[in-house]
Amino acid sequence: MHLAPLFRWLEHSALGVFTRSLGVWSYGIINLAHILGITLLFGSILILDLRLLGAWRHVPLATLSRPTTTMAQIGLVLAVSSGIPMLTVKTTDYIGNPFLLIKFPVIALALVNVWLVHRSKAWRAHLERDLQPAEQRRLAQGAALSLAFWLTAITAGRMIAYW
Amino acid sequence: MTWILRSGLAAALMLVAGPVIAHHGWGGQEEAVTSLTGTVVQGVSLAGPHATMKIKVGNDVWDLTLAPPARTASAGLKEGLIPVGATVMVRGNRNLDHARHEMKCIYIKQGSNEYHVYPDRE
Repeated sequence: MHLAPLFRWLEHSALGVFTRSLGVWSYGIINLAHILGITLLFGSILILDLRLLGAWRHVPLATLSRPTTTMAQIGLVLAVSSGIPMLTVKTTDYIGNPFLLIKFPVIALALVNVWLVHRSKAWRAHLERDLQPAEQRRLAQGAALSLAFWLTAITAGRMIAYW
Repeated sequence: MTWILRSGLAAALMLVAGPVIAHHGWGGQEEAVTSLTGTVVQGVSLAGPHATMKIKVGNDVWDLTLAPPARTASAGLKEGLIPVGATVMVRGNRNLDHARHEMKCIYIKQGSNEYHVYPDRE
């Protein structure tokens, strides 16, 4: 597998050496931070995506989009900043793990989707006015993709431990 | 519309949650306890979700999974205590797949030092 040298490099990196030296509770605590990050990220995304898909129409979209986007960003930063050191602890254990090869490309797709939604006319318009049906459909598509990508990423991420 | 979303969501979450219950179980291991005697090729590591070490038995290198780090350490087994090359006897439950040389250890003995990392499993 051509990723093996990269995995060995990660495991032997300064970050890997440092993370392994942090004591017997460190992995559990970093894992906790990762889970908190994921719950913040996915919980916020879920509420926004369900709103974009038609739930809670009585709540103005702009009222929901600001807090959920901020909390999702905080969650992503927490998940990434805990995930990278966790990955370096025993990276070579993941050689040949198929779930890793699903998780990271799907996260990349999810982030591309975020970028595309946020640069769309419909997203920029929702802060200023009510949306047209075509604009609502555009954001609903983005929301459906978002739920599919993030659920796949979380599922693959969790399954890494069971391979 | 809302109930479709709700039931779809519940189904998705159950799919995700199901296998989680299986983790940290002995589901993938044999019921029978196996003893192995070999030489340490990679000493105890207390990093990661479980402590690990590797021993060589005959021509095979075995991946040994011990208790979680804190529990392994409180059983007296710390990193660096058992040197590479030392002879150890271990007891545990080996992987159901005998092609994999992998065992979840409940007991490790080196010389007169004994470490009961899962005393309740003996």
